[in-house]
Amino acid sequence: MTLFDVVFSGNDTVYGLTEGAIDAAIAQHGADKAVSFPDTAYSLPCYYGVTGTKIGNLGELKEALGVVKTLMTREKRLNDVFMSGVATALCAEFIEVLKYIDGAMPYEAPCYGHLGDAIIRELGVPLVTGDIPGVAVILGSAPSAEEAVALVKSYQAQGILVTLVGGVIDQLESQGYKTGANVRVIPLGKDVTSVIHVVSVAVRAALIFGNIKPGDAAGLMEYTFKRVPAFVNALGALDPVIVACGAGAIALGFPVVTNDVATSEAVNIKVPKSLIVQPDIAKFNATSLEARDIKLKITNIDIPVAFASAFEGEIIRRGDMQVEFDGSRVDCFELVQTKDMTEIEDHKIELIGPDLDEFEVGTKHSIGYIVEVAGKSMQSDFEPVFERKFHSYLNCVEGMMHTGQRDMIRIRISKDTFNAGLRAKHIGEVLYAKVKSEFAAVVDRCQVKIITDPAECTKLRHELAVPAFDKRDERLTTLTDESVDVYYSCIMCQAFSPSHVCVVTPERLGLCGAVSWLDAKATNELDPQGPCQVITKEKPIDERIGEYEDVNEAVRKFSQGALEDVSLYSIIEKPMTSCGCFECICGIEPLSNGVCIANREYAGMTPIGMTFPELASMTGGGVQTPGFMGHGKHFIASKKFMKAEGGIERIVWMPKDLKDQVADRLNATAKELYGIDNFTDMIGDETIAEDPETLLAFLEEKGHPALSMEPMM
Amino acid sequence: MGDFKLTTVEEFEAGTARLLETGAKVGADAWQYRVKNQTPHCKFGEQGICCRICSMGPCRITPKAPRGICGCDAHGIVGRNYLKFTAGGAATHSDHGREICHTLYCAAPDGAYKVKDPEKLIRIAKEWGVETEGKDIYDLAHEMAYLGMSEYGKVFGYQNFLKRAPKHTQEIWEREEIAPRAIDREVSCSLHMSHMGCSSKPEALIRQALRAGLSDGWGGSMAGTEFSDVLFGTPTPIDTEANLGVMNAENVNIVVHGHDPSLSEMICEYADDPEMIAYAKEMGAKGITISGVCCTSNEVAMRRGIPMAGNFLQQENVVLTGACEAIVVDVQCIFPALGPLSKCFHTKFITTSPIAQMPDSEYIRFSPENAAENAKAIVKLAIENFKNRKPELVHIPEMKQKATVGYSVEAIVKVLDGVTNSQVDELGTTKPLLECVTSGVLRGAVAMVGCNNPKVRPDTAHIELMKKLIANDIIVVASGCSAQAAAKAGLMDKAAKDLCGAGLKRVCELADIPPVLHMGSCVDISRMMILVATLAKDSGLNISQLPVVGCAPEWMSEKAVSIGNYVVATGIDTFLGVDPYVSGSSEVAALLTGGVRDWVEAAYTVETDIEKLVDKMIERIEEKRAAIGI
Repeated sequence: MTLFDVVFSGNDTVYGLTEGAIDAAIAQHGADKAVSFPDTAYSLPCYYGVTGTKIGNLGELKEALGVVKTLMTREKRLNDVFMSGVATALCAEFIEVLKYIDGAMPYEAPCYGHLGDAIIRELGVPLVTGDIPGVAVILGSAPSAEEAVALVKSYQAQGILVTLVGGVIDQLESQGYKTGANVRVIPLGKDVTSVIHVVSVAVRAALIFGNIKPGDAAGLMEYTFKRVPAFVNALGALDPVIVACGAGAIALGFPVVTNDVATSEAVNIKVPKSLIVQPDIAKFNATSLEARDIKLKITNIDIPVAFASAFEGEIIRRGDMQVEFDGSRVDCFELVQTKDMTEIEDHKIELIGPDLDEFEVGTKHSIGYIVEVAGKSMQSDFEPVFERKFHSYLNCVEGMMHTGQRDMIRIRISKDTFNAGLRAKHIGEVLYAKVKSEFAAVVDRCQVKIITDPAECTKLRHELAVPAFDKRDERLTTLTDESVDVYYSCIMCQAFSPSHVCVVTPERLGLCGAVSWLDAKATNELDPQGPCQVITKEKPIDERIGEYEDVNEAVRKFSQGALEDVSLYSIIEKPMTSCGCFECICGIEPLSNGVCIANREYAGMTPIGMTFPELASMTGGGVQTPGFMGHGKHFIASKKFMKAEGGIERIVWMPKDLKDQVADRLNATAKELYGIDNFTDMIGDETIAEDPETLLAFLEEKGHPALSMEPMM
Repeated sequence: MGDFKLTTVEEFEAGTARLLETGAKVGADAWQYRVKNQTPHCKFGEQGICCRICSMGPCRITPKAPRGICGCDAHGIVGRNYLKFTAGGAATHSDHGREICHTLYCAAPDGAYKVKDPEKLIRIAKEWGVETEGKDIYDLAHEMAYLGMSEYGKVFGYQNFLKRAPKHTQEIWEREEIAPRAIDREVSCSLHMSHMGCSSKPEALIRQALRAGLSDGWGGSMAGTEFSDVLFGTPTPIDTEANLGVMNAENVNIVVHGHDPSLSEMICEYADDPEMIAYAKEMGAKGITISGVCCTSNEVAMRRGIPMAGNFLQQENVVLTGACEAIVVDVQCIFPALGPLSKCFHTKFITTSPIAQMPDSEYIRFSPENAAENAKAIVKLAIENFKNRKPELVHIPEMKQKATVGYSVEAIVKVLDGVTNSQVDELGTTKPLLECVTSGVLRGAVAMVGCNNPKVRPDTAHIELMKKLIANDIIVVASGCSAQAAAKAGLMDKAAKDLCGAGLKRVCELADIPPVLHMGSCVDISRMMILVATLAKDSGLNISQLPVVGCAPEWMSEKAVSIGNYVVATGIDTFLGVDPYVSGSSEVAALLTGGVRDWVEAAYTVETDIEKLVDKMIERIEEKRAAIGI
């Protein structure tokens, strides 16, 4: 016996029963007797949907049975099986409609039987919006009444509409379980043929919402396959009639999950994603959702403290701090990586290293977290976009503060939050829940690794994270401001700095160093109403300083009028503002006629006479401070770096670490623009000078070009 | 259905006819004309009963002269010819594999050739019992390359890869004394047996033909495939395009042709170089387009998405477009006609291998050691040739189709993982495919392979067979020129699911695959062997019990016969649309189409009527299903 034989025999049985029932009805009532379902404009909806013909009386029903017979071909091809399944469903509809002759009320509470058009119109909207993420059809009896309740409850908790056929109805009743359309658990009927009442709903949904023409059977099946997120749970022994009905369900695109191991051992019935044998009823829910690709909206984040945007701007002072992770002192990073579906176990959260309760109060540690995602529509271009959102996600956790990005992050967790029970895995819970819900369009599976082991953090930062960041930056090198038609705005940090707007161009990334033009583009594609908006550049005002009418308009709009106009390439004239997230600050050093750059990690003094925090205090906050500018590290080697003032030739000093980081690219730019070899050798650092006089002496010795340039002010 | 539509053979032919008009203007020859000149073919040759292996002859068998001078009858002569034919094919594939091993031996972290799939290398090393722990990947690569090359001349024992076969298959090979020993030995032994005055007994000759074939499929070809993956990456699904329309009239067109990816990989590398693209622009072109012909094309399409300009019998067409700056060839299936043909146009015909040297070509000898600079020189030569194009001769037929290619066994398993249910299924097996087959959703699978042959209306057999198979819920895996025929027609576009029966259509939708899967070049038929071996192991069935058959409807080369022999000897019934020169011996024909089944549980079917051929395959698949009760 093959699966096909079982379907054919089940179909033959049902056909025989139907023929007998119709003949008996004609004998009793005559062929002219009217037949119809109550409260529907679609006659026998399934038959009407498949054939386009409405049936009015028993004589026409008998004729229709002849049409059904033509579907019952017996070649050994799946099409014949599908059509036999459809024929079985149509037979079931015929048997059911006979029950309604003479306005009879064949179903009594709790069973509903046929569902009127009104209910479908009511369900339509939540089905389309995903508020009802799926429709479960539970058929047969669970091994025990308790398990039946548990299964129904599990779907109910997910907002899934549950319909019941057969013994499961009595099982719920025996447990006093409440059913009804208002709680989205609808018992249909106890005969297997009553399953047609939910199929009828799917078919009418296609006709009503999908604009499928009655009679377009292929279009109908395509619609239900692609758009109706239904599935079948067949509990207990599969007899041929149930298998034949199942073939109909699968033809419509609804997978069937069964716990009948005995039949599956006797007949090869397993079909991937369509007919799945799951012996453990406790796993029916997860198995079914996966089979039908149903993604649930995650509304609940499983953490012991509140999660709300109210906490986004919360500052945690040193004294209130339980523990701190600081990327400027130890190895830290945050990273999103695209993986294959098979490499990811959804919602797995793994901690590598000690948990928060193993750290002493007030101490500083390494942390790295890798959010691994997979999805059919996922593109690696989206990785940095997700990553940039981490800042906002983690800040929304009560008692958690997050600043920075990439491998320059800092996180503080308050004592209160720690005492409330927050641990490292909860960072994973937040990231998982937010990524899954906000990027549901592209993320099918997500898992999070949190690394607190310092050696592992160091290793992964250098071997995994930094190369990934470099690769993203690399892609940008081929893009220039002139070669693109649009720029993007970025207002991701308006939570902290409400009037700041970054204008992101290929050669000038966001000052946080984390939003490149490609990132902004992807952010815009993923969420067209989101923080990154297209800015055209069709109306140049002054090419030298990079000022455009369109850019100014955008800046005015996005800063709510706080900013009037900005230039892209000058730090003196209308410089771009800074939020406070900047990787670096550059400021004028008057004595040498150049600029000094300090990066966030640099703790010492600069020749300007200010430390990084002191520079930051006068540069941030979304105000224009001529002579000072926040920017990303990557921008330092850009040909557009303060181009209006002469470009990178003006750089006279930066911390040694930073110099080493940017040396290769900076030297290449200097060579290309001015023909200077090893330009960084001419630039001072803290080992050479921390005051302007010593610096000037050094610059004179090296013959630094800034000395002979026009005065900046 | 959208606007998807297959390209028909009639449309192919119209395109070719238009190109031949260009050819006529410049006095070019073409295979279409040469076929006419060569027809009718020699009947003795066709039947395999012409013997010229010693200088007493040539002897030809007729009813009046039933034996040659030495006394050998038709059966001995046909059998010997068949064995020599096989040996030619086995030698060719295997020598390609050896070249790949040599390239791997030259791989270096800072060299032109690198190890792109170290995991695969480690996997094979472990299979071969080579210690991998703590070893530098390049040291391991060199060690494995050396061992790989040693497979060709190993003194004792059998091919290492045989252990990949199911136990039952290995037992058959052992029992029938056809387990291949050293690859070179099987080729030599074949030539020895078919020397004047050695074997003339059909059983012995055919048995050795199977053995020599196995030394190819489970030896040289497999080494070629596996170590190519190690060097250039194991293919994963990638989108590309096929047919002459992939050539771009505004760009410098470089066409790679042949079989060995070592050369073409380097050409592709340099054609992508910004410096080269800038140079092309300087020379008046808009860019550089690389496209491929034959199996070199399959190799770079599978790994890089390089478009496929065409298959075997389209090789002259690429030159006839008048827009081909260089056709760069390595080894095998290259028409010597390309030399004179290229002289009618500005096209540079560049030969690169000491194995395939031809008149009227520019010979730039290529080896792993000088790969980088020579590839660069070739790309440059092509760019500089752009200015010599004669605009009035340029015509590129606008035909092309989309194709998703790159289905290595590893990629297929990954696709199958995608339709598992993590609550019940294990990952990394072929079980989802087996479930589709045992439940009847898919009826079976056909491996479509082989060349084009003017004896069959080119591409018709490939395309028509595939169309009927997929309409009958039979999934097709294809390689070589067969795969390219499918791609040109559009059968490797995922939209082709609408041409399938309900079962295969549903599988294509759920797994997001086209109904015809591109598994690679002709050496990559070894991938198909690994796939059936895995299916057999995962199902607990013997290979011969699986509802799977092989088919080469338009085959022409010696390699194809070698392939046929190893496919049959692996337990897969094989269907040919062209007779392998054995009709002159009832005994040899009976052996190949029936007798060998007693040895290896499979045999050949030869059927030149394409409609009947496909029906016979479907029938055989259904017989196999019935035999195991599915």
